[in-house]
Amino acid sequence: MNLTECYEILGGSLEDTTGRLASEKNVYKFLNMFLNDGSYNLLTDSLESGNADEAFRAAHSLKGVCLNLGLGNLFKSSNEFTDALRAGSIPDDYKAYYDKVTADYDSAVNAIKQLDPVE
Amino acid sequence: MADNTSKKGTILIADDTDINRELLADMLEDEYNILEAVNGTEALELIMKHKTNISLVLLDIVMPEKDGFEVLGTMNAHHLTTKIPVIIISAEAASPYIERGYKLGAVDYITRPFSKSAVRHRIITTITAYSEKAALQKKVYEQIVSRERNDTLMVSVLANVVEFRNGESGLHVLHVNTITEILLRHLMMLYPKYHFTASQISAICTASSIHDIGKIAVPEEILNKPGKLTDSEFAIMKSHSEAGAAMIASVKGYEQEPMMKYAYEICRWHHERWDGSGYPDGISGDEIPIYVQAVSMADVYDALTSARVYKDAYDHKTAVRMIKEGECGSFNPELLHCFTLCEDRIEENMKETSIYDSIKRRSEDAIQESMYEESSFAEF
Repeated sequence: MNLTECYEILGGSLEDTTGRLASEKNVYKFLNMFLNDGSYNLLTDSLESGNADEAFRAAHSLKGVCLNLGLGNLFKSSNEFTDALRAGSIPDDYKAYYDKVTADYDSAVNAIKQLDPVE
Repeated sequence: MADNTSKKGTILIADDTDINRELLADMLEDEYNILEAVNGTEALELIMKHKTNISLVLLDIVMPEKDGFEVLGTMNAHHLTTKIPVIIISAEAASPYIERGYKLGAVDYITRPFSKSAVRHRIITTITAYSEKAALQKKVYEQIVSRERNDTLMVSVLANVVEFRNGESGLHVLHVNTITEILLRHLMMLYPKYHFTASQISAICTASSIHDIGKIAVPEEILNKPGKLTDSEFAIMKSHSEAGAAMIASVKGYEQEPMMKYAYEICRWHHERWDGSGYPDGISGDEIPIYVQAVSMADVYDALTSARVYKDAYDHKTAVRMIKEGECGSFNPELLHCFTLCEDRIEENMKETSIYDSIKRRSEDAIQESMYEESSFAEF
């Protein structure tokens, strides 16, 4: 899969992201770094342990990374979840937000894993 | 941190997300040394360790341990946001966030997503502005020091002429200068009703140098008589305060200068006493300006601890006891309390042998004071 195809799945603009990060090589490099980013796992763990502050921070970090990397779909769902967690407690309907984030996260990770290397 | 001196400076990146730090480091590491912190506590540790060797801080707000606002708050408490520029980088575009960041002393706010060229440009602009400001402050400081030196130079010459004729060492003037400053600073700390700016303190201390200038009108035989003065000789001796004040008053063209007022009052009233038993006017209590009272006490202390033609030098402890017990006339109880608290400091400072030590100290105070006045710090 090339970057253009990947960004269609991610729901973002390759052109804008390349413009910000200076080269497609950098885009590729940082997308791969995203695979090791712990924000999503931290979000999962903190929801399980009921730590609302940490869940907010994790969702917020995820949203920030998505903004910089142009991961449009995951940005949208993590942004909504961040706002839902902002009050400082885990809302009763958190599952719906979390499932949406999970679906977008899995789809992004899958697409990035199939990327052809950019030299 | 790769310590490469060819780089333009050091940037601290504080962000809990690896990929965010890497994004920024990647944009900047060719030109700057990079320090990284993964939370607010680490960021503050690095800031306290490296201080102004850090050219700029890129600060995330939402972080574990301490968040970005707490980092800014602590920097503010140490007056560091005026020295190290902080740019907030956050995914929050909400205006209360931005407002709070600016209020706490951040210079700029970059929202995600950011581009390499915009980040680089804003960092360079900010670092340049801050280093120009620092260079300007250094220049102002140097000018204050040099102006103070010039101001003090002729006054010191004049004061030495008087002392030379008295057969005193040139140190008396320096000591009165130093003790007056210590007393005034302690008075301000203890009693909020007394307030002097750094430049007022500077002018008062300079003026204190010529407190005895009227002695040049006193004949040398009286001035340097080893034995006890007769009543008429003592009357002539006492005339030096009025004579000094008259000399100051006769200087034309400087009537509006605060230092002339200080000099006049110090010359005239430095032998007045709290209970009205002094001379020449016999004024008492608050009628004697507090800074003149400070000069009087400084004069008495140094006269006691120095050898004169008519007496040996007392040691510090004896001099302190004599002043407290009223053997040298009565003093303002507030001033005596203050003297008790800073007597060790006074004894320590008597070892200073150059007027330039105190000039430098006072110039630094003046700069600090003007810096704090212009920056408004948020309350916590």
